[in-house]
Amino acid sequence: MSSKQFFIDRYQKMGWSFKDVKARQAIRLNLVNSKGKNLPERLRKLGVNLEKVPFLKTGYWVGKSKVSAGATAEYLLGLYSIQEAAAQIPATLFTNLKNKKVLDACAAPGGKTVQIADLMGNTGSIMALDVNARRLSALSNHLERCHVSSAIVYNLDARRAVGLNMKFDRILLDVPCSGNFASDPQWFNRRTIADVAYNAKVQREILTKTVECLAPNGEIVYSTCSLEPEENELNMDWAISNLNLRIEETKGPGTNGLTEVFDQTLDKSLARCRRIWPGDTQGFFACKLKRRVEDNWSK
Amino acid sequence: MEQIALFAMQFGAKFVLNPEFVVKTNQRYYLINPRIKKLMCKDFFYSGLYLGQFKNDVFFPSFNLLNMIAKVATNKVFLDKKTAWLFICGRDIFRKGITTVLGIQENGSFTLIINEFGECLGFGQIIEKMDSSGDRIVIRNILDVGDFLRREN
Repeated sequence: MSSKQFFIDRYQKMGWSFKDVKARQAIRLNLVNSKGKNLPERLRKLGVNLEKVPFLKTGYWVGKSKVSAGATAEYLLGLYSIQEAAAQIPATLFTNLKNKKVLDACAAPGGKTVQIADLMGNTGSIMALDVNARRLSALSNHLERCHVSSAIVYNLDARRAVGLNMKFDRILLDVPCSGNFASDPQWFNRRTIADVAYNAKVQREILTKTVECLAPNGEIVYSTCSLEPEENELNMDWAISNLNLRIEETKGPGTNGLTEVFDQTLDKSLARCRRIWPGDTQGFFACKLKRRVEDNWSK
Repeated sequence: MEQIALFAMQFGAKFVLNPEFVVKTNQRYYLINPRIKKLMCKDFFYSGLYLGQFKNDVFFPSFNLLNMIAKVATNKVFLDKKTAWLFICGRDIFRKGITTVLGIQENGSFTLIINEFGECLGFGQIIEKMDSSGDRIVIRNILDVGDFLRREN
Protein backbone atom coordinates (compact mmCIF):
# COMPACT_ATOMS: atom_id res chain seq x y z
CA MET A 1 0.00 0.00 0.00
CA SER A 2 1.31 3.46 -0.86
CA SER A 3 1.97 5.99 1.85
CA LYS A 4 -0.79 8.13 0.38
CA GLN A 5 -3.36 5.33 0.49
CA PHE A 6 -2.30 4.47 4.04
CA PHE A 7 -3.08 7.97 5.27
CA ILE A 8 -6.24 8.31 3.17
CA ASP A 9 -7.55 5.10 4.76
CA ARG A 10 -6.83 6.54 8.19
CA TYR A 11 -8.78 9.72 7.35
CA GLN A 12 -11.67 7.55 6.16
CA LYS A 13 -11.65 5.70 9.49
CA MET A 14 -11.83 9.08 11.22
CA GLY A 15 -14.92 9.93 9.18
CA TRP A 16 -13.48 12.18 6.46
CA SER A 17 -13.37 11.39 2.76
CA PHE A 18 -10.16 12.55 1.14
CA LYS A 19 -10.37 15.56 -1.18
CA ASP A 20 -7.27 16.85 -2.88
CA VAL A 21 -7.35 20.54 -1.98
CA LYS A 22 -4.89 23.37 -1.62
CA ALA A 23 -5.24 25.96 1.14
CA ARG A 24 -6.19 29.43 -0.10
CA GLN A 25 -3.87 32.34 0.54
CA ALA A 26 -5.07 34.55 3.37
CA ILE A 27 -4.05 37.76 5.07
CA ARG A 28 -4.62 39.10 8.55
CA LEU A 29 -4.97 42.83 9.22
CA ASN A 30 -2.65 44.14 11.91
CA LEU A 31 -5.15 46.33 13.71
CA VAL A 32 -2.64 48.34 15.72
CA ASN A 33 -0.78 49.40 12.58
CA SER A 34 -3.72 49.75 10.19
CA LYS A 35 -6.11 51.63 12.48
CA GLY A 36 -7.95 54.35 10.61
CA LYS A 37 -6.44 53.41 7.25
CA ASN A 38 -9.41 51.53 5.75
CA LEU A 39 -6.98 48.86 4.63
CA PRO A 40 -9.34 46.43 2.85
CA GLU A 41 -10.53 49.26 0.59
CA ARG A 42 -6.97 50.44 0.01
CA LEU A 43 -5.93 46.93 -1.02
CA ARG A 44 -8.93 46.54 -3.30
CA LYS A 45 -7.94 49.78 -5.04
CA LEU A 46 -4.49 48.27 -5.62
CA GLY A 47 -6.12 45.27 -7.27
CA VAL A 48 -5.89 42.79 -4.38
CA ASN A 49 -9.08 40.77 -4.49
CA LEU A 50 -10.25 40.13 -0.92
CA GLU A 51 -12.97 37.94 0.53
CA LYS A 52 -13.75 38.09 4.25
CA VAL A 53 -13.07 34.85 6.12
CA PRO A 54 -16.40 34.30 7.93
CA PHE A 55 -14.91 32.84 11.11
CA LEU A 56 -12.15 35.47 11.59
CA LYS A 57 -12.52 39.10 12.67
CA THR A 58 -9.45 40.32 10.80
CA GLY A 59 -8.85 37.59 8.22
CA TYR A 60 -9.39 37.78 4.46
CA TRP A 61 -8.83 35.28 1.70
CA VAL A 62 -6.91 36.60 -1.28
CA GLY A 63 -8.47 35.82 -4.64
CA LYS A 64 -6.90 36.17 -8.06
CA SER A 65 -5.26 39.60 -7.93
CA LYS A 66 -3.37 42.07 -10.08
CA VAL A 67 -0.58 42.33 -7.53
CA SER A 68 1.03 39.87 -5.16
CA ALA A 69 -0.28 40.30 -1.61
CA GLY A 70 3.24 39.64 -0.35
CA ALA A 71 4.82 42.53 -2.25
CA THR A 72 2.71 45.61 -1.60
CA ALA A 73 3.91 48.67 0.32
CA GLU A 74 1.08 47.98 2.78
CA TYR A 75 2.52 44.54 3.52
CA LEU A 76 6.06 45.89 3.83
CA LEU A 77 4.81 48.58 6.21
CA GLY A 78 3.33 45.92 8.50
CA LEU A 79 -0.29 46.89 7.96
CA TYR A 80 -1.15 43.24 7.38
CA SER A 81 0.47 39.82 7.45
CA ILE A 82 0.18 36.85 5.16
CA GLN A 83 -1.21 34.12 7.39
CA GLU A 84 -3.18 31.07 6.39
CA ALA A 85 -6.78 31.29 7.66
CA ALA A 86 -6.76 28.24 9.95
CA ALA A 87 -3.40 29.33 11.38
CA GLN A 88 -5.10 32.53 12.53
CA ILE A 89 -7.43 30.62 14.85
CA PRO A 90 -5.20 29.58 17.82
CA ALA A 91 -4.30 33.10 19.00
CA THR A 92 -7.98 34.07 18.98
CA LEU A 93 -8.87 31.27 21.43
CA PHE A 94 -7.22 33.01 24.37
CA THR A 95 -9.42 35.11 26.62
CA ASN A 96 -8.33 38.67 27.36
CA LEU A 97 -4.72 38.99 26.25
CA LYS A 98 -4.30 42.64 27.25
CA ASN A 99 -1.46 43.20 29.73
CA LYS A 100 -0.79 39.49 30.04
CA LYS A 101 2.53 37.69 30.16
CA VAL A 102 2.51 35.31 27.20
CA LEU A 103 4.79 32.47 26.18
CA ASP A 104 4.92 31.59 22.49
CA ALA A 105 6.93 28.42 22.90
CA CYS A 106 7.60 27.46 19.26
CA ALA A 107 7.41 30.89 17.70
CA ALA A 108 9.29 31.02 14.37
CA PRO A 109 8.57 32.28 11.78
CA GLY A 110 6.45 34.55 13.97
CA GLY A 111 3.03 34.88 12.33
CA LYS A 112 1.23 33.99 15.54
CA THR A 113 3.65 36.02 17.69
CA VAL A 114 2.78 39.14 15.70
CA GLN A 115 -0.91 38.25 15.87
CA ILE A 116 -0.76 37.89 19.67
CA ALA A 117 1.08 41.23 19.94
CA ASP A 118 -1.66 42.81 17.84
CA LEU A 119 -4.42 41.28 19.98
CA MET A 120 -2.58 42.58 23.05
CA GLY A 121 -2.31 46.04 21.50
CA ASN A 122 1.40 45.84 22.30
CA THR A 123 0.57 45.77 26.02
CA GLY A 124 1.97 43.09 28.30
CA SER A 125 4.88 40.98 27.14
CA ILE A 126 5.57 38.00 24.93
CA MET A 127 8.42 35.55 25.35
CA ALA A 128 8.97 34.02 21.94
CA LEU A 129 11.14 30.90 21.81
CA ASP A 130 12.42 28.80 18.99
CA VAL A 131 14.97 26.05 18.98
CA ASN A 132 16.01 26.67 15.37
CA ALA A 133 18.49 29.56 15.25
CA ARG A 134 18.15 29.99 11.48
CA ARG A 135 14.41 30.55 11.75
CA LEU A 136 14.92 33.34 14.29
CA SER A 137 15.94 35.76 11.52
CA ALA A 138 12.56 35.30 9.86
CA LEU A 139 10.92 35.86 13.25
CA SER A 140 12.97 39.03 13.84
CA ASN A 141 12.15 40.43 10.40
CA HIS A 142 8.48 39.76 11.04
CA LEU A 143 8.59 41.58 14.39
CA GLU A 144 10.44 44.53 12.87
CA ARG A 145 8.15 44.78 9.85
CA CYS A 146 5.06 44.81 12.07
CA HIS A 147 6.59 47.18 14.66
CA VAL A 148 6.06 44.78 17.56
CA SER A 149 7.53 46.28 20.73
CA SER A 150 6.43 43.82 23.39
CA ALA A 151 8.35 40.64 22.48
CA ILE A 152 11.57 39.11 23.75
CA VAL A 153 13.02 36.37 21.57
CA TYR A 154 15.27 33.57 22.77
CA ASN A 155 16.97 30.79 20.87
CA LEU A 156 15.66 28.15 23.22
CA ASP A 157 14.04 24.75 23.04
CA ALA A 158 10.48 24.96 24.39
CA ARG A 159 11.34 21.95 26.57
CA ARG A 160 13.75 24.22 28.45
CA ALA A 161 11.28 27.07 28.99
CA VAL A 162 11.16 26.28 32.69
CA GLY A 163 14.73 27.62 32.85
CA LEU A 164 13.33 31.13 32.30
CA ASN A 165 11.99 30.92 35.88
CA MET A 166 8.75 32.62 34.96
CA LYS A 167 5.07 31.88 35.11
CA PHE A 168 2.95 32.83 32.12
CA ASP A 169 -0.72 33.84 32.00
CA ARG A 170 -1.07 32.50 28.47
CA ILE A 171 0.97 29.86 26.65
CA LEU A 172 0.72 29.17 22.95
CA LEU A 173 1.94 25.73 21.96
CA ASP A 174 1.83 25.78 18.19
CA VAL A 175 4.03 22.74 18.30
CA PRO A 176 6.27 21.34 15.54
CA CYS A 177 4.14 18.79 13.69
CA SER A 178 3.92 16.56 10.63
CA GLY A 179 1.94 19.14 8.65
CA ASN A 180 -0.68 18.18 6.10
CA PHE A 181 -1.10 17.67 2.38
CA ALA A 182 -3.11 20.86 1.81
CA SER A 183 -0.11 23.06 2.58
CA ASP A 184 2.56 20.73 1.18
CA PRO A 185 1.92 19.07 -2.21
CA GLN A 186 4.70 16.54 -1.53
CA TRP A 187 3.37 15.66 1.90
CA PHE A 188 2.41 12.06 1.12
CA ASN A 189 5.85 11.39 -0.35
CA ARG A 190 7.67 12.93 2.58
CA ARG A 191 5.81 11.63 5.60
CA THR A 192 5.59 8.25 7.28
CA ILE A 193 3.75 7.11 10.37
CA ALA A 194 7.15 6.97 12.12
CA ASP A 195 7.44 10.78 11.67
CA VAL A 196 4.01 11.16 13.20
CA ALA A 197 5.01 9.04 16.21
CA TYR A 198 8.24 10.99 16.66
CA ASN A 199 6.47 14.36 16.50
CA ALA A 200 3.80 13.18 18.93
CA LYS A 201 6.53 12.24 21.40
CA VAL A 202 8.25 15.64 21.11
CA GLN A 203 4.87 17.37 21.48
CA ARG A 204 4.20 15.52 24.75
CA GLU A 205 7.62 16.53 26.02
CA ILE A 206 6.92 20.18 25.16
CA LEU A 207 3.51 20.00 26.85
CA THR A 208 4.98 18.40 29.97
CA LYS A 209 7.69 21.00 30.39
CA THR A 210 5.72 24.11 29.49
CA VAL A 211 2.80 23.24 31.79
CA GLU A 212 5.26 23.89 34.61
CA CYS A 213 5.45 27.52 33.43
CA LEU A 214 1.69 28.10 33.55
CA ALA A 215 0.51 30.70 36.08
CA PRO A 216 -2.51 30.01 38.28
CA ASN A 217 -5.69 30.39 36.23
CA GLY A 218 -3.52 30.52 33.10
CA GLU A 219 -4.51 29.20 29.68
CA ILE A 220 -2.69 27.04 27.16
CA VAL A 221 -3.68 26.91 23.51
CA TYR A 222 -2.34 23.81 21.80
CA SER A 223 -2.39 23.65 18.01
CA THR A 224 -0.95 21.73 15.09
CA CYS A 225 -1.45 21.74 11.35
CA SER A 226 -1.44 17.95 11.40
CA LEU A 227 -4.45 15.76 10.68
CA GLU A 228 -3.01 12.81 12.56
CA PRO A 229 -4.80 11.99 15.84
CA GLU A 230 -1.54 10.95 17.53
CA GLU A 231 -0.49 14.61 17.41
CA ASN A 232 -3.92 15.93 18.29
CA GLU A 233 -6.72 14.14 20.17
CA LEU A 234 -4.51 11.30 21.46
CA ASN A 235 -1.98 13.79 22.83
CA MET A 236 -4.74 15.84 24.44
CA ASP A 237 -6.26 12.70 25.94
CA TRP A 238 -2.85 11.88 27.37
CA ALA A 239 -2.41 15.46 28.65
CA ILE A 240 -5.67 15.54 30.59
CA SER A 241 -4.83 12.17 32.17
CA ASN A 242 -1.23 12.98 33.03
CA LEU A 243 -0.77 16.74 33.35
CA ASN A 244 -3.72 17.77 35.49
CA LEU A 245 -5.26 19.71 32.61
CA ARG A 246 -8.80 20.09 31.37
CA ILE A 247 -10.05 21.04 27.94
CA GLU A 248 -12.05 24.25 27.70
CA GLU A 249 -15.01 24.83 25.45
CA THR A 250 -14.00 26.68 22.28
CA LYS A 251 -16.11 27.92 19.44
CA GLY A 252 -14.97 28.11 15.89
CA PRO A 253 -14.95 26.51 12.47
CA GLY A 254 -14.45 22.83 11.78
CA THR A 255 -15.78 19.81 13.61
CA ASN A 256 -15.59 18.67 17.22
CA GLY A 257 -12.47 16.78 18.20
CA LEU A 258 -12.70 13.02 17.86
CA THR A 259 -13.69 10.98 20.89
CA GLU A 260 -13.31 7.63 19.12
CA VAL A 261 -10.04 7.06 17.27
CA PHE A 262 -9.18 3.73 15.63
CA ASP A 263 -11.37 1.76 18.08
CA GLN A 264 -9.98 3.69 21.03
CA THR A 265 -12.44 5.62 23.20
CA LEU A 266 -11.14 8.95 24.46
CA ASP A 267 -12.31 11.34 27.15
CA LYS A 268 -15.62 12.95 26.20
CA SER A 269 -14.17 16.42 26.68
CA LEU A 270 -12.04 15.89 23.55
CA ALA A 271 -15.14 16.96 21.63
CA ARG A 272 -14.40 20.51 22.84
CA CYS A 273 -11.32 20.62 20.58
CA ARG A 274 -11.62 21.97 17.05
CA ARG A 275 -10.56 19.75 14.15
CA ILE A 276 -10.47 21.34 10.71
CA TRP A 277 -10.32 19.08 7.69
CA PRO A 278 -8.74 20.61 4.56
CA GLY A 279 -11.05 22.64 2.34
CA ASP A 280 -10.81 26.41 2.04
CA THR A 281 -8.16 26.17 4.74
CA GLN A 282 -5.38 23.73 5.42
CA GLY A 283 -5.94 20.96 7.95
CA PHE A 284 -5.72 22.16 11.54
CA PHE A 285 -6.31 21.23 15.14
CA ALA A 286 -6.64 23.57 18.11
CA CYS A 287 -7.78 23.42 21.69
CA LYS A 288 -7.62 25.40 24.89
CA LEU A 289 -6.44 23.90 28.16
CA LYS A 290 -6.49 25.00 31.77
CA ARG A 291 -5.34 23.38 34.97
CA ARG A 292 -7.95 21.01 36.30
CA VAL A 293 -7.76 22.03 39.94
CA GLU A 294 -7.12 25.75 39.99
CA ASP A 295 -7.83 26.17 43.67
CA ASN A 296 -4.80 24.16 44.73
CA TRP A 297 -2.57 26.34 42.60
CA SER A 298 -4.15 29.62 43.58
CA LYS A 299 -3.66 29.09 47.31
CA MET B 1 23.19 56.09 21.61
CA GLU B 2 24.96 59.24 20.61
CA GLN B 3 25.39 57.82 17.12
CA ILE B 4 21.67 57.11 16.89
CA ALA B 5 20.96 60.72 17.90
CA LEU B 6 23.46 61.93 15.28
CA PHE B 7 21.81 59.74 12.68
CA ALA B 8 18.41 61.28 13.51
CA MET B 9 19.85 64.80 13.32
CA GLN B 10 20.67 64.23 9.65
CA PHE B 11 16.92 64.42 9.08
CA GLY B 12 16.49 67.47 11.29
CA ALA B 13 15.17 65.38 14.15
CA LYS B 14 16.13 66.07 17.74
CA PHE B 15 15.96 62.70 19.28
CA VAL B 16 16.89 61.58 22.77
CA LEU B 17 16.73 57.96 23.87
CA ASN B 18 16.88 57.08 27.54
CA PRO B 19 20.02 54.89 27.83
CA GLU B 20 18.32 52.97 30.63
CA PHE B 21 15.95 51.53 28.05
CA VAL B 22 18.33 50.81 25.19
CA VAL B 23 19.96 47.38 25.12
CA LYS B 24 22.49 45.90 22.74
CA THR B 25 23.33 42.43 21.52
CA ASN B 26 25.60 41.52 18.57
CA GLN B 27 25.92 45.22 17.59
CA ARG B 28 22.13 45.42 17.34
CA TYR B 29 20.28 48.01 19.43
CA TYR B 30 16.79 47.67 20.90
CA LEU B 31 14.48 50.05 22.70
CA ILE B 32 12.75 48.31 25.55
CA ASN B 33 10.04 49.34 27.97
CA PRO B 34 10.03 48.81 31.77
CA ARG B 35 7.84 45.68 31.46
CA ILE B 36 10.26 44.05 29.05
CA LYS B 37 13.26 45.18 31.06
CA LYS B 38 11.99 43.38 34.15
CA LEU B 39 11.67 40.10 32.25
CA MET B 40 14.81 40.09 30.12
CA CYS B 41 17.61 37.60 30.54
CA LYS B 42 21.02 38.33 29.09
CA ASP B 43 21.08 35.88 26.18
CA PHE B 44 18.18 37.35 24.23
CA PHE B 45 18.11 37.27 20.43
CA TYR B 46 15.67 40.16 19.92
CA SER B 47 13.89 42.41 22.36
CA GLY B 48 11.40 45.27 22.30
CA LEU B 49 11.68 47.61 19.34
CA TYR B 50 14.65 47.01 17.06
CA LEU B 51 16.49 50.29 16.39
CA GLY B 52 19.30 49.28 14.06
CA GLN B 53 22.84 47.94 13.99
CA PHE B 54 26.41 48.95 13.45
CA LYS B 55 28.43 47.25 10.73
CA ASN B 56 32.03 48.42 10.37
CA ASP B 57 31.18 51.56 12.33
CA VAL B 58 28.35 52.45 9.96
CA PHE B 59 24.87 52.66 11.47
CA PHE B 60 22.07 50.85 9.62
CA PRO B 61 18.71 52.01 10.99
CA SER B 62 15.67 49.83 11.38
CA PHE B 63 12.34 50.86 9.91
CA ASN B 64 11.05 51.21 13.48
CA LEU B 65 13.66 53.90 14.07
CA LEU B 66 12.89 55.63 10.77
CA ASN B 67 9.22 55.74 11.77
CA MET B 68 10.12 57.26 15.12
CA ILE B 69 12.34 59.82 13.41
CA ALA B 70 9.61 60.60 10.85
CA LYS B 71 7.37 61.86 13.66
CA VAL B 72 9.81 64.68 14.48
CA ALA B 73 11.97 65.06 11.37
CA THR B 74 11.97 68.17 9.19
CA ASN B 75 13.62 66.69 6.09
CA LYS B 76 10.93 64.85 4.20
CA VAL B 77 10.06 64.25 0.59
CA PHE B 78 6.58 63.13 -0.45
CA LEU B 79 6.18 60.96 -3.55
CA ASP B 80 3.37 60.24 -5.94
CA LYS B 81 1.96 56.71 -6.10
CA LYS B 82 4.06 55.40 -9.01
CA THR B 83 7.32 56.84 -7.72
CA ALA B 84 6.64 55.43 -4.25
CA TRP B 85 6.26 52.00 -5.80
CA LEU B 86 9.50 52.36 -7.78
CA PHE B 87 11.28 53.55 -4.63
CA ILE B 88 10.36 50.43 -2.65
CA CYS B 89 11.62 48.41 -5.62
CA GLY B 90 15.02 49.96 -4.92
CA ARG B 91 14.97 52.74 -7.52
CA ASP B 92 16.30 56.28 -7.18
CA ILE B 93 13.84 59.17 -7.38
CA PHE B 94 13.19 61.41 -10.39
CA ARG B 95 12.19 65.03 -9.70
CA LYS B 96 8.87 64.60 -11.47
CA GLY B 97 7.74 61.95 -8.94
CA ILE B 98 8.09 64.30 -5.97
CA THR B 99 4.94 66.09 -4.85
CA THR B 100 6.25 67.98 -1.78
CA VAL B 101 9.66 68.78 -0.35
CA LEU B 102 10.11 69.77 3.30
CA GLY B 103 13.28 70.85 5.11
CA ILE B 104 16.83 71.04 3.83
CA GLN B 105 17.27 70.49 0.10
CA GLU B 106 21.04 70.81 -0.26
CA ASN B 107 23.08 68.29 -2.17
CA GLY B 108 24.41 65.56 0.11
CA SER B 109 21.71 65.99 2.76
CA PHE B 110 19.51 63.11 3.83
CA THR B 111 15.75 63.01 3.66
CA LEU B 112 12.98 60.64 4.67
CA ILE B 113 10.82 59.34 1.86
CA ILE B 114 7.08 59.49 2.50
CA ASN B 115 4.20 58.10 0.44
CA GLU B 116 0.81 59.69 -0.32
CA PHE B 117 -0.58 58.30 2.97
CA GLY B 118 2.15 59.91 5.09
CA GLU B 119 3.92 56.58 5.71
CA CYS B 120 7.71 56.42 5.81
CA LEU B 121 9.10 54.17 3.06
CA GLY B 122 12.79 54.66 3.80
CA PHE B 123 15.37 57.35 3.25
CA GLY B 124 17.60 58.75 0.56
CA GLN B 125 20.31 61.28 -0.16
CA ILE B 126 19.73 64.40 -2.23
CA ILE B 127 22.13 64.40 -5.17
CA GLU B 128 20.69 67.16 -7.38
CA LYS B 129 18.91 70.44 -6.77
CA MET B 130 15.16 70.21 -6.45
CA ASP B 131 14.71 72.79 -9.21
CA SER B 132 16.25 70.33 -11.69
CA SER B 133 14.14 69.22 -14.62
CA GLY B 134 11.60 66.45 -14.04
CA ASP B 135 13.54 63.70 -15.75
CA ARG B 136 16.63 64.13 -13.53
CA ILE B 137 17.34 61.77 -10.63
CA VAL B 138 17.46 64.02 -7.57
CA ILE B 139 17.45 61.53 -4.68
CA ARG B 140 19.52 58.39 -4.36
CA ASN B 141 17.79 55.49 -2.65
CA ILE B 142 19.71 54.52 0.50
CA LEU B 143 17.19 52.27 2.25
CA ASP B 144 13.59 51.31 1.48
CA VAL B 145 11.03 48.93 2.98
CA GLY B 146 11.46 46.58 0.01
CA ASP B 147 14.52 45.50 1.97
CA PHE B 148 12.27 43.07 3.87
CA LEU B 149 11.69 41.12 0.66
CA ARG B 150 15.37 41.27 -0.34
CA ARG B 151 16.34 39.85 3.07
CA GLU B 152 14.11 36.82 2.43
CA ASN B 153 16.11 36.06 -0.69
